[in-house]
Amino acid sequence: MGTTQASHEYSIPAHVPAELVRPIGLTEGPEFLAAPHAFMADLVTTQPRIFFSPSHHATNAWCVTHYEDVYHVLRHPEIFTTRGSTAFPRDPNNYFHLIPLEIDPPDHRKYRALLDPRLSPKSVAKLEGTIRKLANDLIDEILDQGGCEFTKAFGRPLPVSVFLDLMGLPQDMRDTFVRWAMGLLHAQDRQIAGKAMQETVAYLQTVIQEKTRHPDDGAVSAIVHGQPGGEPLSGQEIFGFVFFLFIAGLDTVFATLNNIFLWLAQNPARRQEIIDNPGNIDAVLEELLRVFSVTFSGRNLTQDYEMHGVKMKKGDKVTCILPAANYDPAAFPNPKEVNFHRPRKPTLAFTAGVHSCMGAHLARLEMKIALVEFLRRIPNFQVKEGTKIEYWPGGVIGPKMLPLTW
Amino acid sequence: MALVTYIEHDGTRHPVEVPDGDSVMQGAINNMIQGIVGECGGGLACATCHCYVDDAWTGRVGPPSASEMEMLESTAEEKKPSSRLSCQIAVSKALDGLVVRLPATQF
Repeated sequence: MGTTQASHEYSIPAHVPAELVRPIGLTEGPEFLAAPHAFMADLVTTQPRIFFSPSHHATNAWCVTHYEDVYHVLRHPEIFTTRGSTAFPRDPNNYFHLIPLEIDPPDHRKYRALLDPRLSPKSVAKLEGTIRKLANDLIDEILDQGGCEFTKAFGRPLPVSVFLDLMGLPQDMRDTFVRWAMGLLHAQDRQIAGKAMQETVAYLQTVIQEKTRHPDDGAVSAIVHGQPGGEPLSGQEIFGFVFFLFIAGLDTVFATLNNIFLWLAQNPARRQEIIDNPGNIDAVLEELLRVFSVTFSGRNLTQDYEMHGVKMKKGDKVTCILPAANYDPAAFPNPKEVNFHRPRKPTLAFTAGVHSCMGAHLARLEMKIALVEFLRRIPNFQVKEGTKIEYWPGGVIGPKMLPLTW
Repeated sequence: MALVTYIEHDGTRHPVEVPDGDSVMQGAINNMIQGIVGECGGGLACATCHCYVDDAWTGRVGPPSASEMEMLESTAEEKKPSSRLSCQIAVSKALDGLVVRLPATQF
């Protein structure tokens, strides 16, 4: 792993000590892409407790990998803010915040309050029947084919369908949304990404107009007609909120399912263990979420701040490497072992603090149903012979393709 | 400032000084007490800061609001008459000596 010898190639702020500069290629280097979770798991023990990761393509940022430190950062939004911390590109002349992610407390609460009631455990439990049917419909299409490309046949369409239902959008938009999500988030080609963005924006704006005229009980309508603190949201706020749900809600569940099913395909005995212990499914899912977390939490410092002797400056970026923190041996002994009987302990799969994932309960339910229904109907499957698994670069970690046979 | 004692499911006691105005949930989080998760940060959105108020204190702590009551339906462990979401209990001198018991799991 390269260390300081390459640091002259990057633009490193003067206050960052050379020995803490670690060009590890987070989310983009060959070692990361070869086995991203193993790579991140090792960061906890092989790198300094807090180090600086420079990048040509992504963010120059301090990296935090220890469970306790990550909780500290995420639970102090007054020091580590989300404002301006997201790299998602936007037109400066028509700028919108990703809501509620980029809003600090206390204002952030008024936006979340619009959707929290419909994402509570009790509310999402009402979606169970619908999700189970959607999952089985997808399985019906592939069951007799002896195999499938999992990411396209199941990993992508399931969360998209659930999302459309939640938002109050028609199911016949499923394949279009799949295409947009792929284009927007995983196209290596700028033109494809730009076109997907344009089409998504145009569609979401039409939907917002339609829901303004014809309210219904979906989430878009709740945002359009919501009056947090007695005031309706502005057009930019409505768009930023709806758009954020689109990018936050789709790719994460997709990537997590793909990671989990890759592991299941490679571990027949563990698959059987899950099938044989239906009562333990909650613990199974929590453990799989721990070892296959897919994303990061970025923050900006609102002030100069020292952590474990490292002096950071106001305006510095800080990346919480959530998948690494979930392998911190101080929090999870023998962290690389997938153990469905660990003592209960919160993981960082849905991040933590005020910006913890608002869709966590829904995501858990979707993934639990996916596991149970797929294993019930297709208990034996493997990765198609000769497949070389490749991972997407970028901030949501998962395999590009997962061809399965059964 | 009030002394709040958190008793974990396994019986471990954590006596902690919590500043006035902070919630019982914040008192736990700031002292890394594991039995309280507080995933949503105090927004009545997650039910992961569930606690059982000690019988001697239920009167002084008071009952939950209607929206907290609804959220309490979603706790991972059994809801009891003494159940509260600790993010909704504001600490004051009147609660000096408060004892809360924590469930085995929050999710």
